[in-house]
Amino acid sequence: MNIISGLIQNYFYFASIVIFLIGTHVMLTHSNLIKKIMGMNIMETGIFLFVVSIGYIRGGSAPIVPIDGRGVRFINPLPSALILTGIVVGVSLTAFALSLVIELYKYYGTTDSDEIMEMRRRER
Amino acid sequence: MNDPTVHIPVIVICTSLIGAFLAPVLGKYRPALVGLMARLIAPVNALLLVILLRYVDAGETFHYYMGGWAPPWGIALSVDYLAIYVALIIHLVSAVILLYAKDDLFGEVRGDLHRWYYTLFLLLVAAMTALAFSHDFFNIFVFTEIATIAACALIAIKPKKECIEASFKYLILSTVGSGFILLALALIYMVTGHFNLTLVAQNMGAAAEAYPLNIMVSLALLIVGFGVKSALFPLHVWLPDAHSSAPSPSSAVLSGLVVKIYAVVLIRIILTVFGGEVLAAAPIADMILIIASVAIIAGSLFALAQTDIKLLLAFSTVAQVGYIYMGISLLSETGTMGGLVHIFNHALMKTLLFLAAGAIIHQTGLRKISDLDGIAKRMPITMAVFSVGALSMVGIPGFNGFISKMYLATGAFDAGKPVFILVILMSSLLNGLYYLPIVVRAFLGTNAEEGKFAKDELPLSMTFPLVILGLACIYFGLLPGSLLELVRKAAHYLIAV
Amino acid sequence: MDDLVLQTITRILMPFIQVYGIFVIVNGHLSPGGGFAGGTILGASVILYALTFNVGAAEDLYPDDLAEAVESSSVLIFVLVGLFAILMGANFLTNIGIFPSPETGTLFTGGFVTPLTLAIGVKVASTVITLFTHLFGEKKP
Repeated sequence: MNIISGLIQNYFYFASIVIFLIGTHVMLTHSNLIKKIMGMNIMETGIFLFVVSIGYIRGGSAPIVPIDGRGVRFINPLPSALILTGIVVGVSLTAFALSLVIELYKYYGTTDSDEIMEMRRRER
Repeated sequence: MNDPTVHIPVIVICTSLIGAFLAPVLGKYRPALVGLMARLIAPVNALLLVILLRYVDAGETFHYYMGGWAPPWGIALSVDYLAIYVALIIHLVSAVILLYAKDDLFGEVRGDLHRWYYTLFLLLVAAMTALAFSHDFFNIFVFTEIATIAACALIAIKPKKECIEASFKYLILSTVGSGFILLALALIYMVTGHFNLTLVAQNMGAAAEAYPLNIMVSLALLIVGFGVKSALFPLHVWLPDAHSSAPSPSSAVLSGLVVKIYAVVLIRIILTVFGGEVLAAAPIADMILIIASVAIIAGSLFALAQTDIKLLLAFSTVAQVGYIYMGISLLSETGTMGGLVHIFNHALMKTLLFLAAGAIIHQTGLRKISDLDGIAKRMPITMAVFSVGALSMVGIPGFNGFISKMYLATGAFDAGKPVFILVILMSSLLNGLYYLPIVVRAFLGTNAEEGKFAKDELPLSMTFPLVILGLACIYFGLLPGSLLELVRKAAHYLIAV
Repeated sequence: MDDLVLQTITRILMPFIQVYGIFVIVNGHLSPGGGFAGGTILGASVILYALTFNVGAAEDLYPDDLAEAVESSSVLIFVLVGLFAILMGANFLTNIGIFPSPETGTLFTGGFVTPLTLAIGVKVASTVITLFTHLFGEKKP
């Protein structure tokens, strides 16, 4: 019972873990390289959601002191900063992976890793 | 803090970064200067690090705060013996590799990509140095990613389909690893509220009591994440392809340095952040010890079955990473020293072997071990140096590999786990079984062309680094005193905290 | 792609997108935003241009040589600003006391933050554009 109520109260953690697992599953089981990259992105999104939800306070705002000095509840910027960096890293990883897929397609004429393995086996 | 020496860690990272981003622009107008710049940066940085070492020796270790902001606000660099030791290894070894790369690159990388090669190499060096000094989870994550992308690109830069494929495999598995690391950092941040290693370590006790699940899960994720990146045994599947297909200088830097940096970071996090309480609660050290032993034996057995010389060296790396993990998870002083010394020794030996293999491939195009009969008649210097590396690997007294194995064995004895001495002995035997036949074949092979020993037809820029590395292997095998002094201090840092 | 409606709308939209991108960049230290977000918006405007006209046109608008120079120099600016503080005797990337920071609410409140955000913005915009043109045109990276 404890676990279920914990899951429902922290539904965002639950959701992010589900997304993470979907992404990892897609990444590891699908043979299409483009789908693998999509899975990589989905997995990262799950993690990003998790980290951002750790730092979020309901009704809080970005931690910049307003000019008129009103007291506001601030959100911890550190997880968001980490995730901003993570997103940038994710974009560069995706771009790099896509360019590798383009190169692979030039050599093998397919984006399916099973077919590539098959071709390599035949070559030997 | 007014002494300019304290800025050296940042300056070392920055010079590599500046070099990395000058290279593409400079390479367009003055291609000859790029290589020269890259070859200058690494030794100069090594010199700076030696000055820093002197400074720390005279005073004490300190933390460097970026922008003058002390934690919890600022980013901290930890200038301790472990960091300086690792950074010194990185710059010394990469200086030698860059020397070698000058002529070897022409055979393996397209001419207009050379400047990008130097960019990636220097970027990788900067990221690894930053990883060695980082005292902050945030920076550890960021520089892990930079190092990963740079390392993947260093493989994919060679226009062959094996390289692209290996690089893709490496990239996908590393991304899973980084995902795990990021998740672990989030879990740690959730319960401790800090990213700075010292502050996390202070809050770890209370957090482990209140939220044991978080801490355990994050520890597991960290081990898997960094385990993938440092090729800890069952997670090593990407390594053989990646390290064997890459251009030889890349293979050397990937096998000699990159893999170990992740191991060092993982060990630093486990020992200094999680600390004794968490390690006592779960048999983490024992588990790593067993995994490492399996890695040593299995890596050697896989290597035994290889016919391609670079694949053999790559599988041998899997085994050698096991040594490092094993030494440190013994949790005795000599064991930790053995693991740390092995980082240096293996960096020397494996760089030497990969570069020698690269020289053979560069000169003759032969990769199959069975084709190497009598190769020593054509390339005596290269094969002599290769033999030095091979004997070091086996652990013959007088070569540097023996020093680390001796410390590992003493460490196992001190820790009261003498069974692991058996593992070390067995792996030495296996190392002998797969390294020595190459040496024997090269010198005594039958189907060699008739005639006397010819002179190597290698350019000086390729033989010189090889000879330097070979001499270093012998030097640190005979007179390891100064090295061991530094390693002892680094080990004390790990054990004491 | 040769569509008059799309091309005309792109022509009208592009300056607005770019002004918004620059606004996000220079306001980075005063409001949520900054180099990453603003740079992406700037880059997106050129991607829009490339999609509605053609990739070759975008490459003419923003050639590779320029991209290399811009990307390298913006990183160098960042590092050199950090090293400048060391030259002045403070720690790496020290802001307070080294760079002037006038009263709250103006453009240069943050000392070196505005120039650094600008450098990041330009770098990100340039990277987004080159990534797109290279992947789309399938040129060798």
